[in-house]
Amino acid sequence: MASNKKYWQSVEELKEGSVVETLRNNEFVEEIPTDEFLGDKETLETSSTSRRDFLKYVGFSTAAASLAACEGPVRKSIPYVVQPDNIVVGVADWYATTIADGFDFANVLVKTREGRPIQIMPNKEIGGVTNARTQASVLSLYDSNLRLKEPRKGTTQISWADADKEIIAELERLNAANESVVLLTGSLASPSTDKVIADFIAKYPNVKHVVYDAVSESGTADAFEAMYGTRALPNYDFSKAEVIASIGADILGDWQGGYEKSYAEGRKPELGKMSYHVQIESNMSLAGANADKRIVAKPSDQVYALINLYNTVTGANMPSKATAHDAEIKKLATSLQKAGNKGVVVTGLNDKNAQLIALAINKALNSEVIDVVNVNNTRQGNDTEVAQLLKDLSSGKVKGLVTYNVNPNYSLTGFADAAKKASLSVAISTQDDATATAMQYALPAPHNLESWGDVSASANTYGLMQPTISPIFNTRQIQDVLLKWSGSSVNYYDILKEFWSTNVLNGASWNQALHDGFFKKELESVVTVNDIDINTAAATLVKNTTPSQYELNLYTSTALGDGKQANNPWLQELPDPITRASWDNYLTVSMADAKELGFDNPVKDNGAIDGNYANVTVNGVTINNIPVMVQPGQAKGSFGLALGYGRTQGLKEEMQVGVNAYPFYANGNSIQYNVSIEKASGWHKFACTQVQKTIAGRNDILKEATLKEVLNKKLDPKHTWNKPAMVSYDHQEVEAKTIDLWDEHNREIGHHFNLSIDLTSCTGCGACVVACHAENNVPVVGKHEVRVGRDMHWLRIDRYYSSEVNEKQVEASMTIEEFKAQNPNIANQEVERKYAEKILELGGGDLFAALETSAENPQVAFQPMMCQHCNHAPCETVCPVAATSHGRQGQNQMAYNRCVGTRYCANNCPYRVRRFNWFNYSDNSEFDFNMNNDYGKMVLNPDVVVRSRGVMEKCSMCIQMTQATILKAKKEGRAVKKDEFKTACSEACSTGAMVFGDVNNTEDKVTQLKEDNRAYHVLDYIGTKPNVVYQVKVRNTNEA
Amino acid sequence: MSSHYESSYREPLVLGNKSYHDITEDIAKPIEGKANKNWYIAFYISLAAMLWGFGCIFYTVGTGIGVWGLNKNIGWAWDITNFVWWVGIGHAGTLISAVLLLFRQKWRMAINRSAEAMTIFAVFQAGLFPIIHMGRPWNGYWVLPIPNQFGSLWVNFNSPLLWDVFAISTYLSVSLVFWWTGLLPDFAMIRDRAVKPFQKKIYALLSFGWSGRAKDWQRFEEVSLVLAGLATPLVLSVHTIVSMDFATSINPGWHSTIFPPYFVAGAIFSGFAMVQTLLGIMRKVTNMEEYITRLHVEYMNIVIILTGGIVAVAYASEFFIAWYTGSPYENYTYMSVGAATGPYGWAFWSLILFNIAIPQLLWFKKLRRSFIVSFLISIAINIGMWFERFDIIAIVLSKGHLPSTWWRFEPTFVDVGIFVGTIGFFFVLFLLYARTFPVIAQAEVKTILKSSGENFKKLREENNEH
Repeated sequence: MASNKKYWQSVEELKEGSVVETLRNNEFVEEIPTDEFLGDKETLETSSTSRRDFLKYVGFSTAAASLAACEGPVRKSIPYVVQPDNIVVGVADWYATTIADGFDFANVLVKTREGRPIQIMPNKEIGGVTNARTQASVLSLYDSNLRLKEPRKGTTQISWADADKEIIAELERLNAANESVVLLTGSLASPSTDKVIADFIAKYPNVKHVVYDAVSESGTADAFEAMYGTRALPNYDFSKAEVIASIGADILGDWQGGYEKSYAEGRKPELGKMSYHVQIESNMSLAGANADKRIVAKPSDQVYALINLYNTVTGANMPSKATAHDAEIKKLATSLQKAGNKGVVVTGLNDKNAQLIALAINKALNSEVIDVVNVNNTRQGNDTEVAQLLKDLSSGKVKGLVTYNVNPNYSLTGFADAAKKASLSVAISTQDDATATAMQYALPAPHNLESWGDVSASANTYGLMQPTISPIFNTRQIQDVLLKWSGSSVNYYDILKEFWSTNVLNGASWNQALHDGFFKKELESVVTVNDIDINTAAATLVKNTTPSQYELNLYTSTALGDGKQANNPWLQELPDPITRASWDNYLTVSMADAKELGFDNPVKDNGAIDGNYANVTVNGVTINNIPVMVQPGQAKGSFGLALGYGRTQGLKEEMQVGVNAYPFYANGNSIQYNVSIEKASGWHKFACTQVQKTIAGRNDILKEATLKEVLNKKLDPKHTWNKPAMVSYDHQEVEAKTIDLWDEHNREIGHHFNLSIDLTSCTGCGACVVACHAENNVPVVGKHEVRVGRDMHWLRIDRYYSSEVNEKQVEASMTIEEFKAQNPNIANQEVERKYAEKILELGGGDLFAALETSAENPQVAFQPMMCQHCNHAPCETVCPVAATSHGRQGQNQMAYNRCVGTRYCANNCPYRVRRFNWFNYSDNSEFDFNMNNDYGKMVLNPDVVVRSRGVMEKCSMCIQMTQATILKAKKEGRAVKKDEFKTACSEACSTGAMVFGDVNNTEDKVTQLKEDNRAYHVLDYIGTKPNVVYQVKVRNTNEA
Repeated sequence: MSSHYESSYREPLVLGNKSYHDITEDIAKPIEGKANKNWYIAFYISLAAMLWGFGCIFYTVGTGIGVWGLNKNIGWAWDITNFVWWVGIGHAGTLISAVLLLFRQKWRMAINRSAEAMTIFAVFQAGLFPIIHMGRPWNGYWVLPIPNQFGSLWVNFNSPLLWDVFAISTYLSVSLVFWWTGLLPDFAMIRDRAVKPFQKKIYALLSFGWSGRAKDWQRFEEVSLVLAGLATPLVLSVHTIVSMDFATSINPGWHSTIFPPYFVAGAIFSGFAMVQTLLGIMRKVTNMEEYITRLHVEYMNIVIILTGGIVAVAYASEFFIAWYTGSPYENYTYMSVGAATGPYGWAFWSLILFNIAIPQLLWFKKLRRSFIVSFLISIAINIGMWFERFDIIAIVLSKGHLPSTWWRFEPTFVDVGIFVGTIGFFFVLFLLYARTFPVIAQAEVKTILKSSGENFKKLREENNEH
């Protein structure tokens, strides 16, 4: 029965003919007299809209119209409609996973916020190490520019299903015809993927898997295979080493993945031990910069040095040649023999014979440092097979080609033309690069952070890769692609899980392994050693070495590596640790050669450096207009040039910098003889972040000591190698830091943060710089702005060259104690005056000028520099609006909103760590980097504000992280744990050089470090009382 | 200020056969007459420069400070150089009107009006820079200690920049009041002569109803004295505080206790040079040759030699101390071997040449009494004093504590444009002033006509009244 009730809201409504009723029927209660107004012509004519009324109407309507036209900015912030269970908004989730892009391999922890990965940190539980590129790869995930987004056939989009159908048909046709097909991948080091590939090959027996590393270590793998039967690289544990002899191997750079962690572990002066590291090299590498002794030798001399070393160590008499360094080699051999099984020899020559000799020396030494059981799987490329493939492709023997995440069209000369001859060419790729564009089919693969997988970088460690975000683009993993093509219906995730439970886990929990991101397996240490004819090896090596006037040593730069992430603005803007140049590669030329060839790096009036161009020809291949950087410490007669630059396809215009050096990289050999060079016209504009090369006699900024001094208990560091600044107070010499104009706050209450930086452990790798970028939303400013000195890095790594000073200068730089000892007859009260006179006599100005010129083979020291968080901060007093002030926890804080931008604070900062927003760096098409596009912005850390133009910014000591730690402890109702406080840089530091903590917690490591013998503050004479403390750099220069 | 007796051996301060009425006529002529072609040419050039400068300012404010040549290590360069340069120029006015008034130097009367005008216009220019050099000038009012809605936010009284705000604004207001007070009788004179009603109305307003009664004169004298007393310490304080922008910092080369006296001397030095420059032109253009005489020029040159000497001694001691410390940090201050031989050597030697070497010519009486030589030397000093500030700022900042931060500065067209713009703005104001204001304090000059006027001296000579 239908209800006939009447619902009423008020009594008024109930009544018939009430106001409510009237209103409901008639919007305007009173009739609007439109007829009266418009209908009668006469009234209209006589109506008195005066001029003033008219203007009022016009004014009102204009105002109303313009107001209506205004629109507030649209901010796309989309709340969760259904909140996922495992995500708490504002709280970061961390996932353990593995990064493996064929060149960089790392066990990492990924920080995700609201489902977006925003940072990558090393998984320190298993000794994970991240370099700058691994740190930056989180931004490559959001690279909407270079990422391949949709499957494509030629230039037209195609669906996955259609692509599968067509490719399978072609594969089957080729299989039936027994035509050869090659699957070309980089080093995968993935056991489960190997299985998937094996299954694929079982289905298509005509398929061959070829591994191609753009930057090859094939010679090492060949040598290792010849000697130990397995094709892999040996592993090294440099923490066990007492003597390290490296011949051209950048063990702290990208040589076989880099070994900075174990290297730094072996160099702890406070533990009384420190390896003695001799580097024989032509380019100034990171390893050379950190070495205790660096011998400059051009590549051909390195070969002879290696054989001579072998001869001296083993007493053999292999064919070789004498070099200028034979005396040094003899000494080195003696040290190695003395060290016995604690000695190790490594070489960067990618040559089977050279590697065999190195392996033989290590075997002769019975070296503990080298590990031939737990081998390194990260470089599986095979130069012979790649060369064969190239030949077969050209001759049409190989009909089908499937590439995965390699870019041979860019990095392998002749490949692009050869690949055109294949009847089927498919690129499975994360990047829409030169290869993907040239192939018939381009199939998008997900980024590491979107994929499942496993990686066994060394034989005993299995790392799991898990997705940290759902795929951003229409991608499919290679494993799934291959499974699909083999007609399998299972997906890769199931295979992976299955594979692990049968082959890896051995009954252990999958979930635990996934949580940890890795699984460690015991290896049986059965080593079979094949006999090697070193004589033949040495003879072949000598025969293949053709010394020439100029030789080229190609290398990979710290920032770009093999060039995979060339479209990553963080990496492009990361200054090279040695040259401090960003956004470029260049020919490094020795000072002597530069003089002969007429190369120069003049400093322009705007502070930037220019460089000449050179045309270089290597074995008939010419590259024109390579910019030249004159490099102190470069071997005369050798040039260096970084690979990985000069990519163009798919890259943003700003990123298309540098020259492609791969055409020189014939046969995967980084050493090339028969180099000719000529100077070309014009000037190249470099973008360096540091211009001055030396420390100009200001030795208290970066203090150095020798191991002998540090270990000598009789020496009081305060009077010898770690002198604090002294001032006269009440007619007495006291330490400058004890004098204070003000009463100190009581800093013992609550937390008080300090950061300790050990200059001995810092290798200059730059991982912290990128970590700081990611954590603090530091903007990228582009090449031109870096060039004119406006990089925004909150954390930079200063590099200083130093060299032995001549006799007169030594005399001038002697200490007063030495002076006293030399002149015993001067009365005590006179000593000081006479000493000062002596120094003056020698001429302060001349001395400093002489020290400014860096020598041919300088020593190098790195000094990470960021806001020192001075307890007496010079910046704080000068800000007129008090925008920068001191926190209770020791941090010097910057209130961006309050800043009016006078820049006085930056001028008054003796460390020059403050960075000014000269322009708007976000949402500005002039700065078209990650902060100017919606994908790139996904990497921004929501805990840190993006600064607007006109304000000053600087290191905050990651206050968002320290506050989060405090809040977490508070919520859990506990005290903050030992060493729980972290900053991005200290987290990212693989060598443990950076240690952050609370000095009010006596248990924190930093508390001891602050009081350490080696601890000092930079520029302590000013009395700024920084909260960043440095540890004196120690070199083991006394050995042998 | 009665007509005291003055020996006829002393040079007269007013030349020619002048009566009181002649003076009135002479001073009123530029205002009542038509501007000549030269004035228009000068005005349009200045106006164009000013508009160009304003364009550059808008560009800076609209785009960001990045359009200047500054960088991470050199946060100030032309902006603060120009600021200090203009403030320094603004110094002579108050010194001439206040200090010389207290010391009863009658020769100031011919020049004080224009010197004060110059002061005020220069301070306008100076005041522009602290505002536009801010990254966010729209928030510039935050440097004022005004009650605000931001909670307990307040200015930082420790900051020398804040002291600047107070010093400059005080100086500007006192100078303005002092200037106007002196102008009252002269405006009244113009008012009384004006025939056009609009002009009469304007000058009536400007003269604040000056009636010329004895009481007016008495109060005028009193106020002048009081204001002179107030303004005198400002002569010292303004540039002292400007110098503290540098002296209280910790940069080697800035952190120097000698800065306050040295900056004050330098300011007077540059101020007098600018007065020389301006009057050198003005006496010709407005036919004031008989009021601004060789004697005036010589007196000003003597002040220039004195203050220039103080500045030179300050340079020498800075140089000596930098060397004597033997500290590696002091080797690249703006007065050091490092600066003389470094990339900014040209700026260093320009400073030495223009500020120390060239002014020494003024020791020769013949030269310091020459109009043209004085004019040229004054230009040299203006350039030299600009270089002094540029050297102090740019050289010191280019060689900071950490060698890794050593950098260089190169100005962009915007830097240059803004500087040229302020010069244009300054001359626009000054040219307008020269056509509308009595450029010489005629009421005061009349008080010395009988004592220091040439014809009266002659008269006395003839009557043997020495």
